[in-house]
Amino acid sequence: MARKILLIDDDPDVVLAMRLPLEREGYEIHEAADEDEGLALAKSIMPDLIILDVMMGSHTAGFQLAQELHGPDAPEALRRIPIVMVTAVHQTTPLRFRPESDYLPVQAFLEKPVDPRRLLDEVRKLLPPE
Amino acid sequence: MHAPAEPRETADALAPAGRLLITLRWAAGLSILLATAVARWALGIELPAGALLATGAAVLAYNVALAVEARRPDRAAASVARALWSQIALDWLAMTAVVHFTGGIASPALIYFIIHVALAATVLPPRQARVMALLSAVIVAGLAALEATGALPHVTLPDIGLGGDLYQNGTYLLAALFFFTTTALTLSELVSRQAEDLRRREARIRALNEERAAFTRAATHELRAPVAASLALVRSIEQGYVDDDLSPMQSVIIQRVSERLDGLRELIDDLLDFAASREVSLAAQPPEPVDLGAALDVAIDRERPIAEEKDVALHTSDCPAVTVLAGDPGLSMVLGNLLNNAIKYTPAGGDVTVQVAVDQPSGQATVVVRDTGIGIPADELPRIFDEFYRASNAKSARIVGTGIGLAAVRAMVEHYQGTIALNSVEGQGTTVTVRLPLASTKQP
Repeated sequence: MARKILLIDDDPDVVLAMRLPLEREGYEIHEAADEDEGLALAKSIMPDLIILDVMMGSHTAGFQLAQELHGPDAPEALRRIPIVMVTAVHQTTPLRFRPESDYLPVQAFLEKPVDPRRLLDEVRKLLPPE
Repeated sequence: MHAPAEPRETADALAPAGRLLITLRWAAGLSILLATAVARWALGIELPAGALLATGAAVLAYNVALAVEARRPDRAAASVARALWSQIALDWLAMTAVVHFTGGIASPALIYFIIHVALAATVLPPRQARVMALLSAVIVAGLAALEATGALPHVTLPDIGLGGDLYQNGTYLLAALFFFTTTALTLSELVSRQAEDLRRREARIRALNEERAAFTRAATHELRAPVAASLALVRSIEQGYVDDDLSPMQSVIIQRVSERLDGLRELIDDLLDFAASREVSLAAQPPEPVDLGAALDVAIDRERPIAEEKDVALHTSDCPAVTVLAGDPGLSMVLGNLLNNAIKYTPAGGDVTVQVAVDQPSGQATVVVRDTGIGIPADELPRIFDEFYRASNAKSARIVGTGIGLAAVRAMVEHYQGTIALNSVEGQGTTVTVRLPLASTKQP
């Protein structure tokens, strides 16, 4: 069965750009355009991986959603789903973060503009062939 | 755009004024002591030396207290204003004493009251300055009245011609007070209006700069998002993730679109860095201790994929544990920009080397970024840090760039009180050396 990836981003073009290479590789893609839809979809379809944009409605929507998905109060099943966070290097957010910081529970960072090859590399690292 | 929060502005504007008054007062206190000593013992003039010396000593004594108070960090606006008012009150008291002990309304020291009125007018709003000018006239009139009526014993200085009964001559008193009052009022009006005008302009300039920086940030984000999305889409075609194979011409066009978008993305990033470097120096945020190794790691992680894609070898050695006085994320921006330049201007198969050294005696950390790239023509080196300047060989090699990266880097490094030097030989490579002050000379 194809692995399921949930793309959460409010920019439909960015979503399309990520969907194209991922579908080529045989993943099953689900989309959400904001954090609420993303959370609901994550709970209902239980994806194998979540790719999440930092800046949606607010500058920190992605961070908040990551906390909800992986925070101490989240169900174990959700916490086991790896998250790749999509950021822009120069993004002006009030939160400073480093990829290795432990307070941000995500497994990988991907920089905008998303390069399809690097996207697939990260996804393969987190979802090794069964 | 309304005036920013008043208390902060007032504190910022008043603190330097307070410090200036303290500096001037050391001279004033010593002058009273010296002038008294010279007049009394060198020139033999009969005057109440004891009272005058006590006044000078008192001035120096309360100035010590004021100087200690002014050194306290993070003083609230209210405390700065209070300290300023107590300075003025104490000064006027001392001034009144000096005038009294040197002949009252006939004293040659009377003119110094005008200096105090002018000083107060530099730091006070016009209305308060006017009150102060009138207050000085009231003090002088009161002193004259007390001495004329004998309520306060008049000090006579016959040795310098101040022995007569001028202080009891009504016409003279009226004339003297008239000229004193009009001078004080006119001067305080002129000075306080000019000073207020300057303060208002300064606040306006600061507000405009903040507005401009905020606009740049917002505009940059709005520009970056569509470019990033377009690039991602174009790359998915370029890298063959969309259905059929492209015709050769379609491939060429897609590749060109991709390159142009890359150039646009770079321009936007540089503009943001540039705006940030300006903003930082304007906001005058003091440099803070930053882990150089961590900032370098961030920059290297970001640039390594670009180097790998270009087949440029990126050599780094272990960075010694060192903390420098800089800023976050400014330091990463500086290092990232230098690495990015080195990789960009180095052809495939070349090398980029990053070295960090600590020089304890000079209290500096040195970061050297060396490449084996196209270099910069010798006659263009003096202009290489200029905004929007690009070397002719970079342009003719059609390497995408904006010419503001190095300008932003230099502005940032100089803001951190560091130095940047660039050596280059055309066709052989470029070496950039950045020196930054160590946060502490003792490293664990």
